[in-house]
Amino acid sequence: MLRNVTLVFAIGFLAAMVALAVFAPLLPLPDPVKMDVISRMAGPSWAHPFGQDEYGRDIFSRIIHGARASLAVSLTAAALAGAAGVIVGLVGGYFQGWIELATMRPLDVILSFPPMLLALLAVALLGPGALTLTVILSILFIPAYARVTYGEVLVVRNHEYVEAARALGHRPLRILARTILPNVAGPVLVQFSLVVASCIVLESGLSFLGLGVVPPTPSWGLMIRGARAYMHLDPMGIVWPCMALVFTVFSVNRLCDHLRDVFDPKARRVSFSPASAIDEDDGARGREAAAGSATDDMLLDIRNLTTEIAVPRGSIRAVDGVSLKVRRGEAVALVGESGSGKSMTGLAIMKLLPRRISRIARGSIDYVTADRQRHDLATVPLNRFRAYRGKEIGMVFQEPMACLNPVYTIGYQLVEAVTAHARLPKQETWARALKALKQVGIPDPERRLHEYPHQLSGGMRQRVAIAIALCGKPSLLIADEPTTALDVTVQAQILDLLEQIREASRIGLIFITHNLGVVAEIADRVVVMYCGQVVEEGTAEEIFYTPRHPYTRGLLASVPKVEDKTGGNKRLSSIPGAVPSPLALPPGCRFAPRCAHATDLCNAGVPALEPVSDSQAARCVRWRELA
Amino acid sequence: MTTPVLKTTPVLEVENLQKLYYSSGGLFSGKRKPVKAVDGVSFSIARGEVLGLVGESGSGKSTVGRTLLRLHEPTAGTIRFDGEDITHASGQRMRDLRREMQIIFQDPFSSLNPRSRIMEIVGEAVDLRGALPKDEREASVIRLLEQVGLSRDHLHRFPHEFSGGQRQRLNIARALAVRPRFVVADEPVAALDVSIQAQVMNLLVDLQRDTGIALLFISHDLGLVEFIADKVMVMYLGRIVEMASARDLYSRPFHPYTRALLSTTPSVDPREARARKRTLLQGEPPSPANPPSGCTFRTRCPFAIAACAAERPAYRQVGEGHYHSCIRDDISGGEPLRAVA
Repeated sequence: MLRNVTLVFAIGFLAAMVALAVFAPLLPLPDPVKMDVISRMAGPSWAHPFGQDEYGRDIFSRIIHGARASLAVSLTAAALAGAAGVIVGLVGGYFQGWIELATMRPLDVILSFPPMLLALLAVALLGPGALTLTVILSILFIPAYARVTYGEVLVVRNHEYVEAARALGHRPLRILARTILPNVAGPVLVQFSLVVASCIVLESGLSFLGLGVVPPTPSWGLMIRGARAYMHLDPMGIVWPCMALVFTVFSVNRLCDHLRDVFDPKARRVSFSPASAIDEDDGARGREAAAGSATDDMLLDIRNLTTEIAVPRGSIRAVDGVSLKVRRGEAVALVGESGSGKSMTGLAIMKLLPRRISRIARGSIDYVTADRQRHDLATVPLNRFRAYRGKEIGMVFQEPMACLNPVYTIGYQLVEAVTAHARLPKQETWARALKALKQVGIPDPERRLHEYPHQLSGGMRQRVAIAIALCGKPSLLIADEPTTALDVTVQAQILDLLEQIREASRIGLIFITHNLGVVAEIADRVVVMYCGQVVEEGTAEEIFYTPRHPYTRGLLASVPKVEDKTGGNKRLSSIPGAVPSPLALPPGCRFAPRCAHATDLCNAGVPALEPVSDSQAARCVRWRELA
Repeated sequence: MTTPVLKTTPVLEVENLQKLYYSSGGLFSGKRKPVKAVDGVSFSIARGEVLGLVGESGSGKSTVGRTLLRLHEPTAGTIRFDGEDITHASGQRMRDLRREMQIIFQDPFSSLNPRSRIMEIVGEAVDLRGALPKDEREASVIRLLEQVGLSRDHLHRFPHEFSGGQRQRLNIARALAVRPRFVVADEPVAALDVSIQAQVMNLLVDLQRDTGIALLFISHDLGLVEFIADKVMVMYLGRIVEMASARDLYSRPFHPYTRALLSTTPSVDPREARARKRTLLQGEPPSPANPPSGCTFRTRCPFAIAACAAERPAYRQVGEGHYHSCIRDDISGGEPLRAVA
C-alpha cells in the first residue's frame, strides 16, 4: 500500500530529523561553524558525507544543526499562530455582531501590511534573532488559521447538533471547545502542515535580510542562500539543504493528513482502491443491441437487471434481478424505502450509474423506439447512448435546484436542451423554449425566460426541470421523487401536470417514490422493491386492495390515515427492525428477519416472484396461506 | 386577539409572538427589508398536552419552535414558561431553563455531533442534571438508550454507524436526558422511511404518555399530527389561521386553507384518490417578504372577496377551543374542500 509506505517514511523521517536536531551537540559531528577554506566546496568523502560548503564547513553537520533553528522556529511559530488563529476564528465565527467585527477585522489589517514591513518593525523593536523570527512568523500566519477556522465554524455553526448543544443549556465556551472545535480540526491540521512549510521557506528569506537567524549559526535558509551564490561551481551544495527542506515539508504534510483522517471517525473505513473498481465496459453481457422487434405498445422491457457497485468491503448488488415493463402512456410506480434499489434502477436505465465503481452485471434493458425496434440499452455504448438521453428518455430529479444551473437564465437552459437534439435557427429555438414553459403551466413565461433559477419558487423550478426533460420530446419520462421536496398543495399541482403530459403525448412514466399516497393517485401499475429485489408487482388496485407480500401490507399499514380515529391506545402499525445492510443480506427471503409470518422455509432460499394473477406477482413462499 | 382559555395549567404561554428577519438590501439600496417569519402568534400548551403545529415550508412553523426555546430571539411578544416571563431572561437563566425545554430536530444526520461517541452525546446531556459518578453516569445513559429501543452495545459507536431511525432515537434520548417538561419536536420523522416513521411515532407517543411531557409537534403531515396531537394549530405565512382540538379540526375544519390542506392528505385508496379533484389551490404561497394585504391567504383562496384585502382578519372563537381567522361566515365550513369551480 503506497499510502502506508509514505506514512511510515514521513513519520520515520520526522522522528529522525527531530532526534538528530535535539541531540546534535552530543553527536560526534564536526563543528558546523569550523571553516576549512582549503577544501572549500569539496565533494562527499568519508569525513564529510555530504561534502563541504563554500567555507569548507561540513554540510551534513550544518544540516543537522540547521534543523535546530529551522524546525524550532517554524514549528513553534506554526503552533503559536495556530493556537491564536483558531481561537480568533472560533470566537469570531461563533458569535455574531461586534465580537465578530472585533476579532476578524484586525486580521485584515495584518494581511494588508506587507510582511517585510512588519518584519522590519519587529526587528526595530526586538532586535534580530531566532526569537524575533518566531514572533514575526507567528503574527504573520494568524490570519491564515483564523480565516480557515472562521469559514469552517460558519458551516458547522448551522448544524443542528450545535443548536442541540445550545438547547441543552451548554455554555458557549464548552460548545466551542467540545462540539465545534473537533469538527473544524481537520482543515486546521492541513493548514498547520502548510504553515510549517511556509515558515521554513520564509525563515530563509528573513534570515537573508539579516532579520532572522544570525550567521554563522546554521539554518536551512542561510544554507540555501549561501549555496545559491556558488550554484554553478558546486550544484550539490544547494541540493542538500533543499532536500532536507522538501522531505521535511512533505513529511509534515503527510503526517497532518493522516492525523486528520484519524480524528475523523467517518474516514476510518478502508479507503476505496481504484484497482478493484469495476470497469464499465468490462462485464461480459448478454445480447447484442437491436434484439428484434416488438409487436405491442411496449416501451421499456427490463429483464433480470442486476447492477453492482464496488465498495471497500466487496460489491453490492443494489439492483438484483429486476424485471420491469412499461407500455406507452402507462405510469409505473417504483416504490420502496431507502436502499431498495429504486433509484439505482432509474439511473441504470439512463446510464447514469456512478462511473468506474458500478456496472450493469447482468440483464437487459430493451427500449422500443417508435419504429418498433428493440434496442438493449445495457449494451449500447455510452457515446451512442447520448442519442437516447433527452430525446427518447427524459429524467426529472427530486431536487430541482440541483439540476438547474444557478448562473444561467431559465431561457438559456431551455435553449441548451432544445439545441442538444436539433439544430434550429435562433428564433425557432427560443420559440420552442417558450412553448415548453407554457406547456408546463408557468404563468407569464416570457418574463420567466429571462429569470434565474433562484428567482423561482420550488414548484416553478420543478416545472422548469420537467420542461427541460420534455424538450427532446421523449417517449419515456423517469421521475425520481419529483414531488418529495415540495409542499403538499404544490405536490398536487405537479402530479396534475405529469398526468396532463402523459395524456397529451402518451408518454410512458416511471415514477420513483417512497410515498404511497402519491402512488395511489397516479400509478397504473406498481412495483414494490425491497433490498434490490422486486417483492411484489401488480396494478394499483391489486397492490392497494389485495396486497400479497407481507412487506407491501406492512408499508400500507404504516401510513397514518386521517379517517382512522385513534382510540385510547394510540398505535401506528409499524414494521419492526430496519432494512438490512446490503453487505449482510439474509440468506433466504430478504424481508424474513422483519416479517411476522417468517418460517424456516423463508430462510431456505430466495423465494421466486410467483404469479398471483395475470398482472400480479409476489415474492413470498407463503402468499397463498396468508391471502 | 384573544388568548385561548384552558382548563388545565399551562406550562407554556405565548402571546403575540413576532419574529422578523432582515434580508440584506440590494447592491445599491442600503435599505433592509423585514421579513415577518412569525407574525403575531398566540397559544398555550398545558402540562402533558400535545399541540400539533401544521404548515407548509415557509409558514414559520419551525421558527416558532426555535423562538420558544430562544434559540432564535423573538422580535416582539411574550413567552411565559411556568408563569415566568422568559422573553428577556438572561443567558444564565435561559441555560438553566433549557434543561426543562428541549428540542428534537428533523435531520437525523446533522443533529448529532459526528466526532462524538454515543456515550458522550447522551452523557453530556446527563451531566447537565448534575455530576454523577462514572458508573452511575454510564448506567443512566444505558437506561436512556434502552428507553428509546437501543442497547448498551451502542454506547461506544459513532453517529455515522447508525441508520436514520436509530439516529432519531438517539436525538430523542438526548432530549429526554435532562428530564424536560416541554419538548419541541420539529418534523422528527420527516426524513425517515415510512415503516421507520411509524416506529418513531409510536416511541414518541409512549414516551410522552409515560413522562407526561408537554409536546409541540411540528409537521407538514396532517396524518401524523392527527395521530399524536390533542390540539392542532394551522399556520400560513407566519400567522395561525385556525386552532382547534384535533377532533374538531379534522371533523369540522373551518378556514379554507385548513380545508384545502385536509383534502390534499394522501389517500392510500387509488379509487378514492382518483375520484377527487387534486389541485384545490392554485399557485404557491407568496413570499413572506412581500405578503398580501389583509388576509395573507386571499391570493390563493377560492372564497376570497374584496373585503379580504382590506384588513388583517381577526382571530376569533367559533366554538369551544376552536379559533380561526376567516372573515367569511357565509361559506359552509365543516368539511374538507372537495371541489372548487
